[in-house]
Amino acid sequence: MSKDYRTEVKPVWCPGCGVFGLLNALTRRVLPNLGIPRHQVLIISGIGCSSRIPAYIDTYGFNSLHGRAVLIAQGAKLANPDLTVIAIGGDGDFFSIGAGHLPHAVRRNVNVTCIMVNNFVYALTKGQTSPTTPYLQRGEGPFLSLQFYPPVDPILDMVSYSVSTRGSFIAQGLASDVPLLAALIEEAIKHKGFSFVNVLTPCVTFEPPQFFKTIKERASYLKEGEPVGLPDSSPEQPWLHDSSNITLALKLAQTPVLEKPHIGVIFRGKELQRYQSEP
Amino acid sequence: MRDRLTIGIAGAGGDGVVVLGSLLQRLAAFRGYFSQMPRYYGPQIRGGASGVKLSLDTARASVPADIADIMVCFNWEKYDELKQELPLGTDSVVFYDSAPPEGKLSLPRKSFQVGFSEKSQEISPTAPSKNIVALGLLERILALPANAVEGAAPHDHVSTLLERNSLALEAGRRLLSQFSFEELRLSAPQHSSPKTVLHGNSAAALGAIRAGCRSFFGYPITPASEVMEEMQERLNHGDGVFVQAEDEIAAIGLALGASLTGAKSMTATTGPGLDLMTEMIGLASGAEIPVVIVDVQRCGPATGIPSKSEQSDLNQAIYGGHGDAPRVVLAACSVEGCYRLLIESFNVSEYYQTPVIFLSDQQLGQTTVATEDDFLTKDYLVAQRKRPGAEQRDQYRRYDLTEDDISPMAFAGDEGFTYQATGLSHDDEGRPSFDFATHQLMHEKRWQKLAPLRDRDDLLKVFGNQGSNRGIVAFGSSAQFVLETVEDLGLQNEVKVCIPELVYPLPRKLTDFVDSLEKLLVVEMSYSAQFHHYLRSQIDLPSNTKSYARAGGLPFSRKELSGPVAELAR
Repeated sequence: MSKDYRTEVKPVWCPGCGVFGLLNALTRRVLPNLGIPRHQVLIISGIGCSSRIPAYIDTYGFNSLHGRAVLIAQGAKLANPDLTVIAIGGDGDFFSIGAGHLPHAVRRNVNVTCIMVNNFVYALTKGQTSPTTPYLQRGEGPFLSLQFYPPVDPILDMVSYSVSTRGSFIAQGLASDVPLLAALIEEAIKHKGFSFVNVLTPCVTFEPPQFFKTIKERASYLKEGEPVGLPDSSPEQPWLHDSSNITLALKLAQTPVLEKPHIGVIFRGKELQRYQSEP
Repeated sequence: MRDRLTIGIAGAGGDGVVVLGSLLQRLAAFRGYFSQMPRYYGPQIRGGASGVKLSLDTARASVPADIADIMVCFNWEKYDELKQELPLGTDSVVFYDSAPPEGKLSLPRKSFQVGFSEKSQEISPTAPSKNIVALGLLERILALPANAVEGAAPHDHVSTLLERNSLALEAGRRLLSQFSFEELRLSAPQHSSPKTVLHGNSAAALGAIRAGCRSFFGYPITPASEVMEEMQERLNHGDGVFVQAEDEIAAIGLALGASLTGAKSMTATTGPGLDLMTEMIGLASGAEIPVVIVDVQRCGPATGIPSKSEQSDLNQAIYGGHGDAPRVVLAACSVEGCYRLLIESFNVSEYYQTPVIFLSDQQLGQTTVATEDDFLTKDYLVAQRKRPGAEQRDQYRRYDLTEDDISPMAFAGDEGFTYQATGLSHDDEGRPSFDFATHQLMHEKRWQKLAPLRDRDDLLKVFGNQGSNRGIVAFGSSAQFVLETVEDLGLQNEVKVCIPELVYPLPRKLTDFVDSLEKLLVVEMSYSAQFHHYLRSQIDLPSNTKSYARAGGLPFSRKELSGPVAELAR
C-alpha cells in the first residue's frame, strides 16, 4: 500500500510539466489530509495531457472521453453518494468540447469537484490554440502558441463563466504552489455541492517560460476580509474580499488573468439543495 | 356477430381522438376484449391531424385490419392527411360530424352525419364533449356498457371522466336509435377477465424496473419520451436516480457513471439521440461498462418523420461508431417482448459487461395494447454482475483474462479492489497500453466473451410448419404484420416465420432456419434493406431470396404484404 496514493505507473508528461503539481497536491496532501479511504474516491478524467492522471492515483479512476468527465462524475455520485468524486480535465475538455455540460452541472449542484487544469493550450495535439489561449489583438497578453497562426477569437474566460452561471464553489490555484492548491482542493471537496477549481498550469513545451513566470509574479492571493489586488490599469479602489458576494466575485473574475491572476476562493455559494446526495 | 372489429377515429388535435380511442379500449378491456390501438399524428401539438385505429378482438391482441369496420370522423380536412393510415372501404360504417367538402370524397353507403359537436354544444357550450358523445354511440352499438368499469378502482380516471360527462354519454347512446347496427356486434370475449392496457414504451420501462434498474438518465425525444416519463414516475418516488439530462451525450454519460458504481443504468432515445450516444457506446464497449440503451426507432435520416415508425437504425445499432466495438442488439416484436427483453437486456449487459441496445419502434412503442397481464407477474431470471472474490483483494486485475473472457468487475466503492480504467487501449490491469499484441488480445477478449450468446435459441421465435422449405425472416413490429398476413392468407402450413429477438450477435438457430429453406423472404421497414444486407453478411442465404423493404412512415398492411407472402408460398 503506497503511502501517498500513487500507483507505480510512470506519468507520460514532459519533465517539468505543471500537472505534476496537481498530482502531488492530490496524492501527497489532499487525499491523505482528508483521510478518505482510497476505495471511497473516484477520479474521472477527460482526454488531454492532464486527463492521464487517473492511472497515476491509486483510487478508483476512469480516463473517459474528451469533454465528458463531468457527466460520468455526476452519474457516479448520484448512484453512490458515499464516494468522493473528482472530475479532472483540461481547458479543451471543460471549456471547448464539453463546455455545454458545465452550466448544467452547476445548476444540478451535484456534490462533485471539478478540477480544470488550464494550461492555455492544446498540448497533447501539439500546440493548437484553446479557448483560453490569450488573444493578441485584445491586449490580453503576449501571443503564446507556437502555432503559425495566432488565435483569432477572444478567450473564453473560465472563471467569469463559472461565476456567471452561479457555480456554488469557485476557486483558482497555481500548479506551482502545491500547498495552496491542495488547500483549495480540500475546501472544494468539503463543499457540499458542485465545486470548480481552475488550476493555472504552465505548459513547458508549448509556452515560452516567461508566460507562467508572469502569471506567478502578478498573482494576487485572496484573503477573506482583506483588500483584493487589482491590476495597475484598474480604475477601481481595492475592496475587501468577501467570497460570499457574487457581485464582487464577478468583478474579480473579470480581471484579465494575465494582468492579475486571483488565487484563492473566488466565490462560495449555496450548498446542496435539489440532489441532496449527502447523508 | 364478429370476433374482431376495427374502429378508426380521425380528427384534429384537440378533438379528443386519442381520449375517445383510449376510453373505448379501456371499456372493452374491462369486459375482457383484447385490442391494439396504434396512433397516427403529425408534427403539431394542437390542431394537426390525429388518428387512431382500434382493433377489438375476442381472442388475442390482433393488428387492426387494413380497412376499418367503423370510422368516426370529426374533421374531414384532417382525415385527408390520414387517409393512407385510415382508408375507407365500401362496407365501412361512417359516423361524421359535418359533411365532407363537396366532391372530395365519396362516402360509403352506410354513412351517417351525426352532429357530435351540436350535441356537445347543447349539453355545455363551454365544455366540449363531442368525443364522449361519440363514445356513447359506439358503446351502445358495440354493447359495451359503461357500467363495465364499476369493478375498477374507485378513483380510476376512466370512471371519473365518464361520471363527469354522463350527460354527453347518455346523449350519445340515444343517437341513431332507429338503427340497431346488428352487423357490428362483437361476440363475447373468450375470457371475461379484464385485460391490462399498456404500450411498448411503458412495458419497456416496467421491464427495466423489474430487472432492478434504479438509475435512469434521458432527454425528451419523440417517440421515446414515454419511457423516460414512466421511469421518472417510478424513480422519483422511490430509492432511484432520475435525471433529465442536457442532451443525449450527457444522458448516456451519466448512465455510465452510475454503472461504474454498480447501479443498473439505462437511457432511452430514438435515432438522432442514438447518433449522439455513439461515442459513449464505443467507450462502454471498450472499457466494458454495462449500460442499456432503448432505441424507439422513427423515420430517418436526420429529423425524418419523428412521429412515424421505421426500422432503419439497425446499422447504427449494430455497427455505429469508430473502431471495432462489440455490443449486443435485441429487438422486441410485441408489448410482452418489450417487457421481457428489457429484463434480458439488463441480464446480458450486466453479465457480459457490454452495452446493450434494445430496438423498439414507434409502432411498438406507442401502440396501446390490451392483453393478459400474466407476463408482468411471472418469474424471470434476473442476472447480476460478476464481482471479484475476496481472494482477488489487493491484487485485483480489472480486465483479468479469464476462461470465459468475463472479468469480475468491482463496484467503485468496493474496498480492496481499486482500479483505473480507460478508454485507451489497455492491458489486463487497465493500464494504458500502446502495444499491438495487447491491443489484439483485448479485442479477442471483448469479442469472444459474447460468443455464447449465439447459442441462445430462446431468443428467436419460429412460427408455422417447421417442415416447410419456405420461410420469412422479420424483426420488430414488422414481424406482427407478417404473422397476421400469413394467417389471413391461411398459409401457416406452407410458410414458416422466424423472428430473431437477439439481433446481434445472431443466434445459430437462425442459420439452421435459413439452411432449411429453398425460398426466403426478408421483410423490413428500411428503404436500403439494412436487415437483408445484414443477414447476407452473416449467413449464406438461399439463391432464391427476396427482400421486401420500403421506407417507413406508413404501417405495413395485410394487403401490401399478401403479394410477397403469396409469391413465396407459390
